[in-house]
Amino acid sequence: MGIVKERIKNYKLLAFVILTYLTLAIFMPDKAFLSFNNSLYYVKEMITIMPVILLLTSLITAWVPKSTIEKYLGKGSGVKGAIFSFLLGSFSAGPIYAAFPVCKMLLKKGASISNIVIILSAWAVIKVPMLLNEVKFLGSEFMIIRWVLTTISIFAMAYITSKIVKRNELPIEETEHLSSANVISINKEYCIGCGLCSKISPNHFKMANKKATIISQDINANELQTVNEAIEKCPAKVIEFKSETI
Amino acid sequence: MDIITLVFWVITVIWFIFSIIKDKPKTINAVKMSGGMIKGMAGEIIAILFLIGIILTFIPPETIKQFMGQSNAVISTVVCALVGSITLIPAFVAFPLAGSLVNSGASIIPVVAFITTLTMVGVVTFPLEKKEFGTKFTVVRNSLSFVFAILIALIMGVMTWV
Repeated sequence: MGIVKERIKNYKLLAFVILTYLTLAIFMPDKAFLSFNNSLYYVKEMITIMPVILLLTSLITAWVPKSTIEKYLGKGSGVKGAIFSFLLGSFSAGPIYAAFPVCKMLLKKGASISNIVIILSAWAVIKVPMLLNEVKFLGSEFMIIRWVLTTISIFAMAYITSKIVKRNELPIEETEHLSSANVISINKEYCIGCGLCSKISPNHFKMANKKATIISQDINANELQTVNEAIEKCPAKVIEFKSETI
Repeated sequence: MDIITLVFWVITVIWFIFSIIKDKPKTINAVKMSGGMIKGMAGEIIAILFLIGIILTFIPPETIKQFMGQSNAVISTVVCALVGSITLIPAFVAFPLAGSLVNSGASIIPVVAFITTLTMVGVVTFPLEKKEFGTKFTVVRNSLSFVFAILIALIMGVMTWV
């Protein structure tokens, strides 16, 4: 039952649209047909753009060295730090909330508040493959002007936020680390459901209801590497591996 | 195909060929991951694309022009910015939706405000953000994003009129 409910919740918008079409088909078949035809143009455009967006997102995930970028975000990183933050956000995949755990981790490592704002904002609005989508539906002039204005705004917001909010006003301290040895944990709230962990390490992770789930906590020496790889590759950094008691 | 799309295609294809030659499993894993993410959004994407058809059928362009046209720019911009703040749909489908409104005569100012707040301001994700970064940071970041979204929209409106 739970699963069915969850499914309906995930697809409630789609269910609503399908119901609307069915109702229209019964009472106003001409309107249903017209609506369908109107949508077809957008569906076609989406299909033509989908492969390039999919490939570009994949290539960015595979080749942009995020861990190298992250090294340059610490205290006193200055202009270079701001630029790297901007790149990190622009070359990430997933919705803004997927950036929260990543930023939290960077904050603990010493990233400044202004850099965190830059990452969050760039992650939200400026995604390289999305620019292509914007060109398709709104034109290249629109995209370029919006990109320039947004980029300026992001740096301005970062500066203003760093003047208003001080570091000690952020909850940076650890709260819940009482786990025992060798435990994998998943922060499901932020899981974007990409399924990468279950592909890298199928003995330990499984997808259920679009969220990663742990199926086994038994990790032998050979598997340690794959589990670590899954943790490292997770785009939202939701998997944690605690190898010692804290 | 416009020049920018073409450039993206060329870069992507060359990069992909290079990627396959250099590290095939890595490339394939990454494609699977992005595929998984898009699959996760597929329901919403299809729903919104077909919703656009219904909107275009039932809301005549004159009405869109009247409410989101240039004469009503200020009010409709604030309303669209608010709607963008509270909705949580992938930016992926926001562009076709925005495109359909502009094609029907909406002014670009409210449309830009909607796209920008949709992605940057998160009322639904506010509790999550607050938990990670504290109330003050979250309030400041979201408010600034809202204000800047409107500014960006207004400047774009002015620039395209000139």
